[in-house]
Amino acid sequence: MQKAVFRICRFNPEKDKAPYYDMFQVKIDEKMSVLDVLEDIKHEQDASLTFRRSCRSGICGSCAMKINRLAKLACKTRTVTEISKHGEVLIEPMENLRVIHDLVVDMDEFWREIYRGKPWLVADEKMLSDFSGENLLMKRQMETASKRADCIMCGACFSDCVSRVFDKNFTGPASLAKVERFVADPRDMAGRERIANLVDIGVWACTHCYFCWSQCPQDVRPVAAISALRLRSVNTGDKSQGARHVKIFSDSIRKTGMLNEATVFVKTMRLSSLKDIDLMLMMARKGKAPSPLRKPVPKIEEVRLLYKLTQGEKKP
Amino acid sequence: MKYAYFPGCVAKSAAPELYDSTAEVVKKLGIELVELTAASCCGAGVQNEENPFLNVVLNARTFVQAEELNLDIVTICSTCQGVMGHVRRQLDDDSELMAKTNETLDKLHLQYKGKVKVKHLLRALIEDYGLKNLQSQVTKPLKGFKIAPFYGCYSLRPKEAVGFDDHEKPSSLETLITALGGEAVHYEGEDKCCGFPILFVQHRASLSMAAVYLNNAKQTGAQFMVTPCPLCHLSLDTYQKKAEKAAKVKIDLPVIHFSQLVGMTLGIDPRKLGFSKHTVSADKILKEW
Repeated sequence: MQKAVFRICRFNPEKDKAPYYDMFQVKIDEKMSVLDVLEDIKHEQDASLTFRRSCRSGICGSCAMKINRLAKLACKTRTVTEISKHGEVLIEPMENLRVIHDLVVDMDEFWREIYRGKPWLVADEKMLSDFSGENLLMKRQMETASKRADCIMCGACFSDCVSRVFDKNFTGPASLAKVERFVADPRDMAGRERIANLVDIGVWACTHCYFCWSQCPQDVRPVAAISALRLRSVNTGDKSQGARHVKIFSDSIRKTGMLNEATVFVKTMRLSSLKDIDLMLMMARKGKAPSPLRKPVPKIEEVRLLYKLTQGEKKP
Repeated sequence: MKYAYFPGCVAKSAAPELYDSTAEVVKKLGIELVELTAASCCGAGVQNEENPFLNVVLNARTFVQAEELNLDIVTICSTCQGVMGHVRRQLDDDSELMAKTNETLDKLHLQYKGKVKVKHLLRALIEDYGLKNLQSQVTKPLKGFKIAPFYGCYSLRPKEAVGFDDHEKPSSLETLITALGGEAVHYEGEDKCCGFPILFVQHRASLSMAAVYLNNAKQTGAQFMVTPCPLCHLSLDTYQKKAEKAAKVKIDLPVIHFSQLVGMTLGIDPRKLGFSKHTVSADKILKEW
């Protein structure tokens, strides 16, 4: 056994004006998860400490919380690993969600976002009426859908999503992973409708910060789902600014091999680029305004040939 | 030490001071960089949203150019390093993708053998050059400057593509700052997103991100910020005044490239390191240096 310090964020909105931190001295051994230690604290030091837990096996997703500033499942996180890295264990409730009590957050906002993505299978009516047995699929046909279906709805990705902090219309990583779970399912008939809905639920607000990939306890990789959805959207008539940016960006590389920041900026932003004209003038004064006349890289014909050869590859 | 050099698009246009300061630093340290002039843009995590296979093939073509020189690749951009590292990993892990890529490259009479490594120059300095070696050449140490590191997403995540530093508790920039005589501060946001990837699409949210994290850094008493990513630099320096306006907060925090930080401590003339090209003046820190 070794000694360790747990610093835990406490908050009871019914009596506390603001969250505060309690320190607990604990004894841990090598095998103990963060959840084990929280249980010890609750049973031996402070029965009022409030947190969710259920399966203790990384399946139910109940015990997601911020552990040393990153959202993780307490039952899947080893205490000694956190101690060796950070010297203590700092526990806080998940971000982007209202705190109900201590580490318990209100998941309603998370679920509302999941529902915005229509998380159910829309089956072919005819197939259902003719149904005479199992609807068998090849394993390969379900690879992507199965990967995204591994989500246990713990909310860790939603908590650590930077975009969600700054843009409440961004539906969040879990919701978009769920959309791809159905878009990639060959039995689903609502693919077109789901893709058409992407712009409204904020698919272009993701920054690719990769926190959702890193923090997902099930390795669902929501950011990869977001890129795959954007790809489908871009290649099926999405005319939004985000889709336009992708096409203009790629076209810029085809022309010169390199990104032409000046033209990509103006063509993507169109009239709103005028708002930054002061910035462009400042950059010009400092000799760093990107030139719209970028010279193609040597052997540009190779780059252009690769564009031609891969034309038919625009799918996930 | 010799590397195939992939400076990336931004260092060759909107952040020329990064390109120039890197040239000065490697000259001083005796590191040889052979620029891959015929390489194309890494795609920056954008091109793969139009055609992911094209993005793989174009990066593989760049890898072949390095293999022909029998050199590993260094970049001076976290995003290039992240995207290229990711593609390299995909090719390593997926033999079908590798075969299909080489089938396409074959039309250009090129073959990718799968040997090339991609790393950021910051990593090369720490792992290959060695901080002790670097320290021995410092003539103008940081003299206890308080400095805010800003890592940039692609420097840290996903760990499968980066293979360097700890994404849960990054320390590479701090290690560099400390070795050069400075003090690194910690703040909420040092490992977060600068906002640049959505600057053209979600302008306001992007500026808010930059403002919040810059302000958090400023509140620690940091005198300036340092970043290994020119895209972060665009967001945090070039757009800082806009971010201040959007968030209605005065920040005024100079943001410098990691190469400028190293260059200053090596005693290189600041004019050669391009400090005059920044939006937020670094004059005050240069005077104190």
